[in-house]
Amino acid sequence: MSGHRIGAITRRLLQGFRRDRRTLALLFVAPLVILGLLGYMLRNSSTPAVGVVNEDSGPLGAVVSSALDSSTKVAATHIAASDGDSKLKDGSIVAYIVLPSDFSQRAQGGVIAPQVHLEGSQPNAAVQVLQALQSALASAASNRPGAVQVQPDVTYLYGGPSLDTLDYFGAAAIGLIVFFLVFVVTIVSFLNERSQGTLERLMASPLRRGEIVVGYMIGFTVLALVQSVEVLLFALYVLNVHNQGNVLLIFGIEALMAITAVNLGIFLSMFARTEFQAVQFIPLVIVPQFLLSGILFPVRSEPTWLQYVSNVLPLTHAVNALRDVMLKGADLTWSSLQLDAGVVAGFVVLFIVAGTATLRRGVA
Amino acid sequence: MSEQVAVDVDSVTKDFGDIKALNGVSLRVRRGEIYGLLGPNGAGKTTLIRSIVGLIKPNSGTVTVLGRKLPNLDVLREVGYMTQQAALYPGLSVEENVRFFAAINGVESGVKDALEFVDLYARRGSVVSTISGGMRQRCSLACALVHRPQLLLLDEPTVGVDPQLRVQFWEQFRRMAADGTTIIVSSHVMDEAERCQRLGLIQYGRLLAEGSPSEVRAQAGTQNLEEAFLRLAGEKVS
Repeated sequence: MSGHRIGAITRRLLQGFRRDRRTLALLFVAPLVILGLLGYMLRNSSTPAVGVVNEDSGPLGAVVSSALDSSTKVAATHIAASDGDSKLKDGSIVAYIVLPSDFSQRAQGGVIAPQVHLEGSQPNAAVQVLQALQSALASAASNRPGAVQVQPDVTYLYGGPSLDTLDYFGAAAIGLIVFFLVFVVTIVSFLNERSQGTLERLMASPLRRGEIVVGYMIGFTVLALVQSVEVLLFALYVLNVHNQGNVLLIFGIEALMAITAVNLGIFLSMFARTEFQAVQFIPLVIVPQFLLSGILFPVRSEPTWLQYVSNVLPLTHAVNALRDVMLKGADLTWSSLQLDAGVVAGFVVLFIVAGTATLRRGVA
Repeated sequence: MSEQVAVDVDSVTKDFGDIKALNGVSLRVRRGEIYGLLGPNGAGKTTLIRSIVGLIKPNSGTVTVLGRKLPNLDVLREVGYMTQQAALYPGLSVEENVRFFAAINGVESGVKDALEFVDLYARRGSVVSTISGGMRQRCSLACALVHRPQLLLLDEPTVGVDPQLRVQFWEQFRRMAADGTTIIVSSHVMDEAERCQRLGLIQYGRLLAEGSPSEVRAQAGTQNLEEAFLRLAGEKVS
């Protein structure tokens, strides 16, 4: 071992990085962005919104509902029973709890029976609601010694009690996997086209820029669609991920995502000169999008300004569309699905145009 | 403009930041001629070739190729371009590469002829990543001429090519020129310059001298091109 020779290698490495500002930025800026985003989302995310309907003619209902009001697990608001289902559907609440008119009366007889209406497609939120209810009831029951039976009557708007975490994440994951892998493969192969000099040859041929981009898009889309079929079949028939919607519709959304990823890859490859630089786009483009897309944390629980960011990302809409179809059985008549599909399709067009426009710049 | 002119470069200037890659270059290449662009590394040869295939838009001046002013996508159908490094798809076979470049130029036939022309027909099934550098160079040439262009631009086609293969290449270029193809070839190897019908000496983005090899020698008053080049280049700088 020679300290001199080792030193030469170390110095050479650091000298190279000194001129590679992009990598420096990645090393020192990306961690702050990603950690900051994660921290901000975890700390400042709001608790699930729950509607409370107190119709109890006796005193117990008021006790339970005020216990729910002060719960830290959920954000309770008082609503009218007739609004409950529509609020569940538009997503402004994840559950509503009805304390029926005979609530106190039945409690006298030893049975506490609130009605819980869960939205049902978000298992984590459902658990939180049931926990909040449990502790609210416990505080109410503590006033009444003796044998009390808690018999909540739980109904689900979508899904059901059998829906588990995999069902919730599975729907999003099949989209994310396709999006991520297709993006990486596209950006690297398009970059090869440039680094091996063949792109220059293509540009010196009668080919139009749009023809190159669309030709690439079709080729990768063929691959991506085969991958989508594989992922989808595996998720549905091996992992038994819950699906309530039309399989073809899921496939259609996956196809849109794949085409988005292809065009994003082509577009971003213009800003990279080496494969290393291309891979650097993953922490910059994919990770924040993953955090903000609602896969882990529902977009509605994000701080308001982050919700704006989330809502302009293609992945957010694709994930939402997949969940709508698979967990809620959405079809094309749903306006939310039309919006999500429309936004993703809009991104496809945007990236095609952007990719074509930047193609010439990338050659020189 | 005369029918006999294949390429007309008129007062072309191109800057890259502070660097003047081309500084008012004007030259004319006749149809069926082998025109050599000579100059040291960084003189502007590649930039000039790239502006003739429309890859670079000049800051000022015009380029007219086969009677059509650039930018013009259609004229590129008649142009073949061989880049400095053998730009090929390493995962495709020799034949698949040539077939691809034929297809993007809108032709389907001629693949076999092109492969035979560069003596690669027997190796047509070999994947490019597995063949030698010289074979890649030949495959690259086949890709540039498979669509039988009227104008062939070759950017240092013989770099890294052994002398035997270089002789073969030049025989092929002469055959094509005899068939009416115009060839512009860049080089910094002086013995290649002797094989051209006319030469343009380029340095610092300017055309220093032009003429047949003997005219260039006479202009400099030297016996060989290398000395002529050094003398002419030195005069302009000082």
